[in-house]
Amino acid sequence: MIQVKDLKKEYRNDSVVTTALAGVSFDIKEGEFVAIMGPSGSGKSTLMHIMGFLDRPSSGVYKFEGQSIEDLIDNELAYIRNEKMGFVFQFFNLLPRTTVLDNVKLPLIYTKIPKKEKDKRVKEAIKAVGLIPRISHYSNQLSGGEQQRVAIARAVVNHPSVIFADEPTGNLDSKSGQQIMEILQDLNEQGHTIILVTHEKYTSEMAKRVIQFKDGKIISDKTIDHRRLAKDGLVK
Amino acid sequence: MELKDSIRISFVALRANKARTALTILGIVIGVGAVILMMSLGGGAQNLIVGQMQSLGSENIFIEPGSFDPKAGLDIMSATVEGMTIKTLTLKDMKAIKKDPLVDMTYAMVYGVARAVYRNQDEKITYIGITSEAYEMDDWHAAIGREISDEEIKSMARVATLGHKIAEDLFGEEDPIGKTIRIKKTNFRVIGVMEERGMQMFQNFDEYVYVPVTTAQKLLLGIDHLNAITVRAINDGAVDPLMENIRWILRETHNIYNPEGDLSKDDFKVMSQVEASDMVTQITGVLTAFLSSIAAIALIVGGIGIMNIMLVSVTERTREIGLRKAVGARNKDIMNQFLIESVALTVFGGLIGFMGGAAVSFLASIGLSQALNTDWSFVLPLNAVILAFGVAVIVGLVFGIYPAKKAAKLNPIQALRHE
Repeated sequence: MIQVKDLKKEYRNDSVVTTALAGVSFDIKEGEFVAIMGPSGSGKSTLMHIMGFLDRPSSGVYKFEGQSIEDLIDNELAYIRNEKMGFVFQFFNLLPRTTVLDNVKLPLIYTKIPKKEKDKRVKEAIKAVGLIPRISHYSNQLSGGEQQRVAIARAVVNHPSVIFADEPTGNLDSKSGQQIMEILQDLNEQGHTIILVTHEKYTSEMAKRVIQFKDGKIISDKTIDHRRLAKDGLVK
Repeated sequence: MELKDSIRISFVALRANKARTALTILGIVIGVGAVILMMSLGGGAQNLIVGQMQSLGSENIFIEPGSFDPKAGLDIMSATVEGMTIKTLTLKDMKAIKKDPLVDMTYAMVYGVARAVYRNQDEKITYIGITSEAYEMDDWHAAIGREISDEEIKSMARVATLGHKIAEDLFGEEDPIGKTIRIKKTNFRVIGVMEERGMQMFQNFDEYVYVPVTTAQKLLLGIDHLNAITVRAINDGAVDPLMENIRWILRETHNIYNPEGDLSKDDFKVMSQVEASDMVTQITGVLTAFLSSIAAIALIVGGIGIMNIMLVSVTERTREIGLRKAVGARNKDIMNQFLIESVALTVFGGLIGFMGGAAVSFLASIGLSQALNTDWSFVLPLNAVILAFGVAVIVGLVFGIYPAKKAAKLNPIQALRHE
C-alpha cells in the first residue's frame, strides 16, 4: 500500500539547509497499525505529512497504492486525501462555532456522493465514536477527549483506506487518551490501516509495528508480538 | 463542492463577527444607498418636469429667437447666453403664422423682472406680456375677476391679472379687483386673480403677473420683439408639417435666403413639445448619471474596506484553510469560499443600502412635494435596482479576488501549524 524508498526532505532557510529526512525506506501493507516513534525533531511529522500528501519530498520515491507522488498534481493529491486518507491531529483542528455534525461532514462537502449517502455516513461515523447525544453541540462546547473523537469521526467519515494520527493523545488526559487509542485499535480491527505518530513509548506499544526515528533516519523497525490493548485499561 | 455549502459556510463566518461584518459593509451600504438615492430622485425630477410639459399638450410648438446649432444640442438659451439679443421675432411673425390652416391657437410672450407696489407693499415679480389665448392654451384661468382681452392687447391697456401668491402678498385680505398697482412707474389696474398653480418646471406660477404683450413691450421693456411664440397645431398629426410651415413663413418674414432649409442659417428655433420633453429627459439623465457616478466613489472606498477585512479574515482562519485542504479541498474550493464570502458581504450591504436609499428618496419625495407645492412622485427605476446589485456583486468579486487567491495559495502544512 505504501512504499517509501530513500526519501529525503530538506528545508532551506536563507542559506541554511536543515535535513528533516535523511533517506528512509520501508513499506506498509494494508491493515497494518504502524507507530512512528521518535523524539521531537526526529523527522517523524515531516514523514507523516509527506505520506499524507500534505507535503512533497526533496528526493526519493513515495508511492501510495502504486501511485507515485511526483506524478500527481496538487488537485489529484487533494482528491486522494479526500477519498483515501483520514487525518487526526494533536490539536483536534475542529471548526469553531460549528456543530459536531457539520465538523464531521466537512470532508464530504468536497465530494460528489449523493446527499442521502452523505447523511448516512456522517451518522455512522458519529455513532462509531459514541457522540450521537452531542450531534448538534458546537465543537467548542465539548471536552478535549470528545473533540478528538469528533476529529476521528471526521477522519473516517469518507471511508479512507488509511488514517494518519499525529500525536492524537498528546493534548489529552490519560483517560481520554486511552479512549482514543481504543477507538483507533477498533478501527484497525475493522480493516483500516493506521499510521500513528507519537513520542510516547507507551502509546507506541499499542501498535502492531514500531518504526523508531532519530535525526531523520530509521534506527529500528520492529513488529510487536503482544501489543497492549487500550481497553484493558491504563498501565502506566 | 456545492454552491449551497459554500454560501452556508460564508454565513457562519459572517455571523461569527457581527459587529465587524456590519462595519465592513457600511461603505457598500452608503455607496449603494447614495447611487439609488441619486437615481431615484433624478427619476422623480424627470417624471415631474416631463409630466408637466406633456400636460400642456403634445400639439404645442415653441418658437424662440436664436439659431439652432446642432453641435450645441442641448443649448436651450443660446440667444441670451451669448450676450446678444436677437430681436427678429415679433408680433408680425405671430400674425403670419396664425394664417396657416394647421394652427389652432397661438400666443406670444415677453417677460421681465421688476417690483410691483401697492401702497406700502412692495414685491419682486416676474411680469409676463401675453396675448389673450395664453389662458386657454395653458389651461390656466382667472379664479376671480376676468382675463386680459384682445381689445386690451390691441389698445396697449394698462391692466394685469395677478398670480395667486402675488395677490395675497400685495393685498392680503383686501379684494384686489379694480385696485391699482405700480410696475416700473406705470400704473396697472388689476382685473383678475389667477387660479393657484404652484411650482412647475421650477417656476412658481403664482408669483407671475400677466399684462398685455404690447403694454409690456412698449411701456415696461421698450422693445418690439418677443421672447417666445407658442403655437398649437390642430392635432397631433399636424405638428410636424406645421413646424416645417412655420420655418418657411419665418424665413420669408425675416428675409432669410435658405432654400436648403439649413437650420443653422435661421435666426429662430422651432421645437415641438415632444422634442422639448426629450431634451429635458436628456438633461436630467445626464445630471443623474453625473451625480450617481460621484456617489459611486463611495462604492470603491467600500470595496477597499471589504478587501482589508477579507485579508484579516484569511490570516485569522489560516488553520481552518489548512484543515480544509487536508480533508480534500482544492485551491479552487478555498478560493470560491472566500469569493462567495466577499460577494455575500457586498450583496448584503447592497440590499441594506438599496432599502436605505429608497426609503430616503421616498421621504424626500413627500418633503419635496410639500416644500415645492407640487406633485413630486417617488420613482425607483428598474435599471437603478439592477445596477446597484450588479455593482455590489462586481465590487465583491473585484475586491475579494486578491484575499481569496491568497487563501487558496496557502501551504496546508504551514497553515495547520499556524498559531
